[in-house]
Amino acid sequence: MAYTVNRNVKLTLWERIYLPEIIRGMYITTRHFFINLFGFVPFFLGQKKHREIFTVYYPEETVKYPVAYRGRPVLALNENNLPNCVACGLCEIACPAYCIDIIPAENTGKQNEVERWPKEFTIDYAVCIFCGNCEEACPEEAIFMSDDCEISMLDRSKMKYNLEQLLVPIDQLKDRVEFTRKMYAKWNY
Amino acid sequence: MFVDFLITLVKILFIFGVTVGFFAPVLTWVERKQSAIMQDRIGANRADILGFTAFGLFHIIADALKMFTKEDFIPRGANKALHTLSPIVALIPALITFAVIPFGGVYTLFGKEVNLVISDLDVGLLFIFAVASIATYGYVIAGWSSNNNWSLLGSIRVAAQMISYEVTMGLTIIGILMVYGTMRLTEIGAIQEDFWRWGIFLQPVGFFLFFAASIAENKRIPFDAPEAESELVAGYFTEYSGLKFGMFFMAEFVEMVTIGAIVTLLFFGGWNLPFVTMDGILSMFDFLGETGANIIALLIHVGVFFAKVCFFIFFQMIVRWTLPRFRYDQIMKLGWKILLPLSLANILITGAVILALE
Repeated sequence: MAYTVNRNVKLTLWERIYLPEIIRGMYITTRHFFINLFGFVPFFLGQKKHREIFTVYYPEETVKYPVAYRGRPVLALNENNLPNCVACGLCEIACPAYCIDIIPAENTGKQNEVERWPKEFTIDYAVCIFCGNCEEACPEEAIFMSDDCEISMLDRSKMKYNLEQLLVPIDQLKDRVEFTRKMYAKWNY
Repeated sequence: MFVDFLITLVKILFIFGVTVGFFAPVLTWVERKQSAIMQDRIGANRADILGFTAFGLFHIIADALKMFTKEDFIPRGANKALHTLSPIVALIPALITFAVIPFGGVYTLFGKEVNLVISDLDVGLLFIFAVASIATYGYVIAGWSSNNNWSLLGSIRVAAQMISYEVTMGLTIIGILMVYGTMRLTEIGAIQEDFWRWGIFLQPVGFFLFFAASIAENKRIPFDAPEAESELVAGYFTEYSGLKFGMFFMAEFVEMVTIGAIVTLLFFGGWNLPFVTMDGILSMFDFLGETGANIIALLIHVGVFFAKVCFFIFFQMIVRWTLPRFRYDQIMKLGWKILLPLSLANILITGAVILALE
């Protein structure tokens, strides 16, 4: 059945006179103008921390993203400054875009606390779709989605991050670690 | 003789400086910033000199530099001569109208009478309308000479809109003439020294009609069908770039100042403060001597006049950022079926009241 739109909007006499409604509209915009104009004053005098206008001057100011935000995936360094990753390859398999590339190697005793460690771990952010499947697949709490989304480059080859570039101290990821524990525990894996 | 020449030169430079040097560039900034603040945004703040942005005021300089350095493009198949001529034809009349607009009364400075109007024509009001209508040719020629369908449609709309609203404007002026009995703008201003003889009290309907018609004449939203961005790209100046586009842009802003000045002069007492007469100011500053008191009066009056003009520019900006664009048929309907009969009725009632009072 065809969908019809009723365009015969019945206007009251007050609306059809037109001028009062125009004045009402102009009253609203003028009110916004003055509220915002004088909302600036306490901010510039330092009495208020925030402006009335909540638009952000982007490069100078940034907002804190919510913890569920999926930025670029990073690898976690544990408290002993060693990577948590054991190069099991589950994230590589889980990745729907095939952007993760792992070459595992045997631990000689200094790289890691377990038997295996990733000799090479590359994520191509030009290919990554930021789905978070790698984080979900990881059994060792080694890979996490950070809140960093500013990863534009002038060169496509620079979008490939190696192990050294990917490692981030786990202190910076605390909120996300907590979030993932809560999230995936609820789903009963 | 030489002093007269000097005084006129100073007046011309003053008006030129205020309109082209101050209002036109600053209004580009005001329009952006005011619209932004009205819409809960921040607005222009990127252009900076050594990290100092001054609320985005440097965007004026950036805009000017951009316009000067842009390629002046003339499309293939365009009529070169007319394409170059039309921005000039559009801009010059907007500036010429200021020749007859008084921005102050008559003052005695050093024993010499100084009238703060460049040319005190006794048909000043008619002169303004005659000259302002010439600008329409600029817009029509611009659209025709560009060899572009959008431009042509835009200029056709300009022509139709101008014809429709010029009628209303002219008829509204008749009401003013009947009330004041003069076309000399300095006299109209002088009559309004009495607060209760301001045009807004004598011609309240005339004010609304005149203001609506003059916004339509300036082709600003809600009457911007000739340059409707979403329909006609940019209307009649689609094919213009660089300084020629800048001239169209400037013409629009100068016309805004003109409208503000004329509305102030005809309906809001010109340079007069309510309840404060010229003699009152002169006697209050009597201790400064005749010339000193006159200078004080001059400064107050010019300040008041431009404050009123600024208010009406602000008002036009609010209208521009509040109302959506009329459809083309709605513009014609409003012009011919509502404003024209209203202006005729305004004349009838004004005449009847004047007759009854006599």
